[in-house]
Amino acid sequence: MLGAPFLLTLGMGLVAGAFSSDSSSLQIPVAVINEDEGELGQIFAQAFGSDELADLLDPIAVSSASEAREMIMDNQLAAAVLVPPGFTDSFIPDTATGQLSPVAALELITDPARPISAGIVRSVTNTLLNDLETQTLSVRLSIEQLIAAGVLDAGDSADLAVKGQEIGRRLAIQQEESSLISINYETAAGAGDNLDFMAYMVPGFAVLFLMYTVSQGGRSILAEREKGTLARMLATPSSSTQIMGGKISGIFLSGLAQMSILILVSSILFDLRWGGLPAVTILLVAVVAAASGWGILLAAVAKNTQQVSSMGTAVMLIFGVLGGSFFALPSTGLIALVSKITPNAWAIEGFTTLAAGGSLADIANVIIALLLMALILFAAAGSLFRRRPLSAV
Amino acid sequence: MYKILAISWKDAIVRFSSRSQLLFFIILPIVFTFIMAEGAGLPGAGSESDNREPLAIVDNDGTQESAALLAALNASTVIHTFSVDPEDVEKMLAVEDQALLVVPSGFGNVLNHGEAGDIDLRLGEEINRQIIAQEVQAAAADVSRPYQAARSATKIAQDEISFANEDERQDFFENALTQAQQLDSTAEQRFIETQPGIETQDNGYDRVAHQSVGQMVTWVFIPLLGISSLLAYERSNGTLRRLLVTPTRRHTYLFGTLFGQVILALIQMALLIGFGALVLKVDWGQSPAGLILIMVCFSLASAALGTALGAFTRTAGQATNLSIMIGMLFALLGGAWVPMEVFPAALQTAVKILPTTWAMQGLMELVVQRQGLVDILPEAAVLLGFFVLFLFVGVRRFRFE
Repeated sequence: MLGAPFLLTLGMGLVAGAFSSDSSSLQIPVAVINEDEGELGQIFAQAFGSDELADLLDPIAVSSASEAREMIMDNQLAAAVLVPPGFTDSFIPDTATGQLSPVAALELITDPARPISAGIVRSVTNTLLNDLETQTLSVRLSIEQLIAAGVLDAGDSADLAVKGQEIGRRLAIQQEESSLISINYETAAGAGDNLDFMAYMVPGFAVLFLMYTVSQGGRSILAEREKGTLARMLATPSSSTQIMGGKISGIFLSGLAQMSILILVSSILFDLRWGGLPAVTILLVAVVAAASGWGILLAAVAKNTQQVSSMGTAVMLIFGVLGGSFFALPSTGLIALVSKITPNAWAIEGFTTLAAGGSLADIANVIIALLLMALILFAAAGSLFRRRPLSAV
Repeated sequence: MYKILAISWKDAIVRFSSRSQLLFFIILPIVFTFIMAEGAGLPGAGSESDNREPLAIVDNDGTQESAALLAALNASTVIHTFSVDPEDVEKMLAVEDQALLVVPSGFGNVLNHGEAGDIDLRLGEEINRQIIAQEVQAAAADVSRPYQAARSATKIAQDEISFANEDERQDFFENALTQAQQLDSTAEQRFIETQPGIETQDNGYDRVAHQSVGQMVTWVFIPLLGISSLLAYERSNGTLRRLLVTPTRRHTYLFGTLFGQVILALIQMALLIGFGALVLKVDWGQSPAGLILIMVCFSLASAALGTALGAFTRTAGQATNLSIMIGMLFALLGGAWVPMEVFPAALQTAVKILPTTWAMQGLMELVVQRQGLVDILPEAAVLLGFFVLFLFVGVRRFRFE
């Protein structure tokens, strides 16, 4: 009831690096094999080991491309960059002839099982290569434009080569931006940092196991019926309404106690902010009411304790994945629509809104939806119980 | 051997005496695999699917320049774009996990004057945001290259020949831009990407395959841990005591229980692999022998762990709860739900003590990395090591009374 959600939240927190001081450091193992004879190959290789990329990359020394491929297959490397022979000469023309060598393409070798790491290395490689390509294009264009303007003689290859190198140095000194298109980044609310991640996971797992608790509570009704103690209770002056009311209240209070303890302890252990106390309390009551409704409905539908146990576990897991207790699924489409029948989806939306600073008004729709869900489920369960006498086995 | 088979058959009857067991055996694994694959980017799974990250685009500019940027993004093998009307931006912003790129009005105009242009990129979910950001950066760099080159050439020319006025400068820039675009469009490719053992046209990451593998590991692992519940049930019911009164040795009983559940697990895995191949179009690699070997070794290790767990639990209920909890935790930490590369480095090392980690590693090598039988022998050996270790603990500590 209490251990499992904590254990799983701890697990997700470990995965997300929530407890690691260097969680922003990825340290992707990457190798650069430089087979180029010129300076650009050297610059390229050094860039991967630079301080700017120290948080992202962990350069590993390898002697050849075949060794790199083997290390990738052995999961020791995420990617390798092969700088081929003639790389520099394909960018910088020969000073005597003014001619460029044929293009020598970089080869990026990636591990198909590490898409994120491969993507990051691809991005770094693309950025470095783009810098070189932009500079080369700029120099070539400048030379051709100056020839067209009559400043340079197209027939004097040596002079053109020298002029090209001079222009390259001037552009480097001017530190021209490598891209004229700037990207303004914005992060969607609730995404992007470890604290938000835990604020998402803790309510998710809490509600997941709340569903298990309420289904076990529903099981207790059937257990009493199977053992015959329910029939004995019905023989007393207590009405069936009072007995069922007591059972349902017990399920509700168990769920409430479980969620309250989880919220309190997670606030201390994970330093989570859940939001304003009145709003959190009202949301908590609504969530437990809706979950209890499902627990009672399961008890009304199932024929015996084994069935309600199996169905309870199945419902817990399905609702967990549909409702986003494990991780967020797309918020549009069929899955998103179906998830609305789960208390999990509404609870996570409510708790994350409050944790992000929302008020009671911001979660009014969530609370109404949960209370409506509880009402419908209790009504359905009541109807089913009336069709089958409580004392019947 | 006959007794082992008889005990295995008995356990199968007990397990499936309730039809609700079919829920956990085949229905829930399929439902979960489908849901997770749906989240991974269906319809149309496997190599025919669009597993790429979705990026919504709003083009408020409508110029050649914005069209060039969109074309560069459309050519991406990692993201797939879809256009959104400007009136629907607010609706899109309300969808928290949807990445959105907005090209503002005037974007093309500023680029055409050699000035820097801005685009707005709103990112959502943590794991995928970096991939989308990288692709947008790469596309932006590709598109801006001729503009950057023309701007640089204009600055160099300004130093060499001095323009009489702004119009002359702008004319020079436009000529340079035209030439830069021509040079850039005819430039040879300087960058190729390969993956060891995989044909270039099949490069990429198959998220549906990863989810299928991960869900299979999860849903086979949990019931095998549930052997502990089976053992506890027999012990508490008194049927175990009766069995042992017969001429059946204790290790025969344990091996019979283990053998039966491993066979059921292999049948379950075969069904899930079939579902993955036929419905989700997952390609399970080129080594059926490797797949069978990993499945057998993983089943044995998991069953042995379930036996060891059964030695320490008192009641069937306790064992069931522990099986679910430990099963889910080990599956999570083993990389069945989330790619292990996102784990902190220390955790990636620490989880090597889990059998699920090695099972996922072996299966990913077969299915995603397309490796062969020989390549997964180390993983199989480790899993067999787990089997021996857990079985030793289980047999030594098991209480028959």
